[in-house]
Amino acid sequence: MAGYVVRRLFGMIPMLFAITVFVFFMMHMAPGNAIEAMINPRIKDIAALKHQLEVQNGLNLPLPVQYWRWLVNVLHGNFGWSFGQHEPVIELLGPAMYNTLILAVLAEAFILLLGIPIGIWQARRPYSKLDYTVSTVSFVLFSVPFFVFAVFLIYFFAIRWPVFPAQNATGTGPLAGTLLDHVWHALLPAISIALTAHTVYSRYTRGAMLDVARQDYVRTARAKGIREPVIYRKHVFRNARIPLVTQLGFDLGGLLGGAVITEGLFSYQGMGYVTITAVSQRDYPVIMATTLIFAVCVLLGNLVADILNAVVDPRIRYQ
Amino acid sequence: MSEAVLSVRNLRTYFMYKDAEVHAVDGVDLDVRAGEIVCLVGESGCGKSMTSLSIMRLVPQPAGRIVSGKILLDGVDLLRLSEDEMTDVRGNQISMIFQEPMTALNPVLTVGDQITEVLLRHRRMRKREAWQRAVEMLEFVGVARAAQIVHEYPHQLSGGMRQRVMIAMAMVCEPKLLIADEPTTALDVTIQAQVLDLMRKMRDDFGTALILITHDLGVVAEMADRVVVMYAGQVVESTDADTLFEEPSHPYTRGLLRSIPSLSDDTETLYSIPGTVPDAAAFPEGCRFADRCPLAQPECLATAPVLREVRPGHWVRCHFADKGSVSV
Ligand SMILES: Nc1ncnc2c1ncn2[C@@H]1O[C@H](COP(=O)(O)OP(=O)(O)OP(=O)(O)O)[C@@H](O)[C@H]1O
Ligand SMILES: [Mg+2]
Repeated sequence: MAGYVVRRLFGMIPMLFAITVFVFFMMHMAPGNAIEAMINPRIKDIAALKHQLEVQNGLNLPLPVQYWRWLVNVLHGNFGWSFGQHEPVIELLGPAMYNTLILAVLAEAFILLLGIPIGIWQARRPYSKLDYTVSTVSFVLFSVPFFVFAVFLIYFFAIRWPVFPAQNATGTGPLAGTLLDHVWHALLPAISIALTAHTVYSRYTRGAMLDVARQDYVRTARAKGIREPVIYRKHVFRNARIPLVTQLGFDLGGLLGGAVITEGLFSYQGMGYVTITAVSQRDYPVIMATTLIFAVCVLLGNLVADILNAVVDPRIRYQ
Repeated sequence: MSEAVLSVRNLRTYFMYKDAEVHAVDGVDLDVRAGEIVCLVGESGCGKSMTSLSIMRLVPQPAGRIVSGKILLDGVDLLRLSEDEMTDVRGNQISMIFQEPMTALNPVLTVGDQITEVLLRHRRMRKREAWQRAVEMLEFVGVARAAQIVHEYPHQLSGGMRQRVMIAMAMVCEPKLLIADEPTTALDVTIQAQVLDLMRKMRDDFGTALILITHDLGVVAEMADRVVVMYAGQVVESTDADTLFEEPSHPYTRGLLRSIPSLSDDTETLYSIPGTVPDAAAFPEGCRFADRCPLAQPECLATAPVLREVRPGHWVRCHFADKGSVSV
C-alpha cells in the first residue's frame, strides 16, 4: 500500500505540470493585466509607470521565461508576492487554507450525517409514499440554487435572530482565533452547502442500498435467521458504502479547493474567496498558487478515494 | 417409518402483478421424514425454488405471496409464526444453501464472521467459543487450513470451497432440515461429487433431513431416498427412489427418465419431451401435462387429476396411473 501511494504521488507530477502550464498561459491571454488593475488611472504618465512596474515584476519577459521563473521559485517554496494584497502569497493563503479546511470538513460532515441516514431510511421502505415524499423534497432542495439557502440562513439566523455570525471566518473577543471560534463562523456556510449537497448522498445511498439488497448474499443472511436491522446495518450497508467512500474522496478534494459562491456570500475568507478576489485583480501569483493547491487537493482527493475504497472493500488490494 | 419432520400441505405461492397472477406453486404436498434425503426434480420453472423459498418464508417481495396451505415443522405451522419467530427458525431449525456459491457469500465479511454470526444469533455463545466452533465446522466439512480460512474473504476461495463454507454455515446449528437448491450445478464434476458426499455425511452424522433440488437424475439415483417430481407448480409423482427408476407411473416422469443420456445408447440425439411447460399465469383447466402427454384422453383435458396413492407410498397425479400397463 505504501509503495502504491508513493507511486501515485509521483504520478501526480506531470498532471500538476500540465495544469499549471495551462492556467498560466490562459491567465496571461485574458485581456488586461495586474499592473493595470493596480494603478490609479488618473496618474499622469501612465505608460511609463506601467512599463516600470512591468519590468520590476518581470511581466515584460516572454511567457515561457516567466513560467520557468515561477516554477523554479515554487520548487524553492517561494510562491511570490501578492500584487493585490502586498504580502507574501504564503501568508495570504495559509489562513485561507485553514478556514477552507474547517468549512470543508464541517460541510462534508453535515452532508454525510444527513445524506446517508436519509438514504438508508428510504431504502428500508422503497417505493412507499414516504420514500416518494422524501425523494421529491430532496429533488427540490437539489434544484434550488444553493445560494438561496445562504441568503435565507443569513437573513434568519444572523440578522433576524442574530445567533450566528454572518461574516468573516473569525470573530473578536476572548475566543477569537480558537478552533471553536472558527467552527462557529463556519457553521452557517457549512449548513448552507449541506442543505443542497446532502441530497446527492441520500439519493446515492438509497440506490446503492437497494442494489445491494437484491444480491444473493442478502438472501443468504435472511436464510440464516439474521434480523432485518442487522441485515441492513451489516450485510447491506457495508457493501453499499463502497461506492459512497469513492464519492467522498472526490468531494473532499473539490471542497478543499474552496466554495467560491458560499464563501463570497458569507465573506468567509477561505480559498474560494481569495481566488475570486485574486482573479478580479489579476493577481497572477495568487491565482497560480490557488490553482496549484486546488489541483493538488483534487488529485489527493482521488487518491484518498482509492485508499478508502481499499479500506472498505477487501477485494481491492494495492501493491 | 419415522414421523415427518416437514409436512407441506396444499401450498400455494403466487406472484401478484397488476395484469397477471403467476401461480408459481399451486397446491404442493410434500413430506420429509427425519434423516431422509428427498430429491425434488422437474423442468425449469416448475416451482422447485419457490417451494423451497416458501418453506423458508423467503418468497421474493413484494409480488410473491404464500396464499394458502400449511407448512408443518415438527407439527408447528410455520405460516402461523410471526416474522420475528420465523427468524428464530431460519438457520437454526431449517437452513438453506443456494446454487451460486460465487454470489451467496457476502464479499466484504470474512468467512468466520459469516459463520459465527449464525451461532451468535441462535446460540448463547461467547465470541471466542463461536469462532472456535466455526473452525471446527470448517474442518468437519473438509476445508484445509481452517484456522486461516476463517479470517479470509470469499473471493480468496474457490467455488468448491465456498460451497463447503455455505454448508458449514448452514449446518453449524445442526438444523432438522437442510434445503439445497441445485447446490452443485455451478461446480465442476469432481467437486460436485465431493459436495454431494459431504451432504450425505451431514445427514449421517447430524441426522438432518435433506431436500435436494436438482436437474440431474444421476444425482437423484445416487442420493435420493425418495423423489418428488414437480410439474407446473404441482407434485405429479412422489415415491421412493427405486420405484421411481423401475416403475415410473406418471407419463411426465417417464419422459424425464427417457431424456437421460445413457452411455449404452447409440442414438445421437437426446430424447426430450415435446412441447413446452404451460404458462404459470394461465394454467389449463384439465391435466397440466395433457398437451404434451402421449397418452392424453379427452378426460384429461376436461378434468384435472388429483394426487392419488396408487400403491403404498407411491403417489401419482394421473387419471391412468393404475389402469393397467400403459406405456409410452
Ligand atoms: N419474481 C418472480 N415474479 C414472477 N414470477 C416468478 C418469479 N420468480 C419465479 N417466478 C415464476 O415462478 C415459477 C416457478 O419458478 P421457480 O424458480 O420455482 O422454478 P424452478 O423449478 O426452481 O426452476 P429452475 O429449475 O429453473 O430453477 C416460474 O414459472 C417462474 O417464472
Ligand atoms: Mg430454481
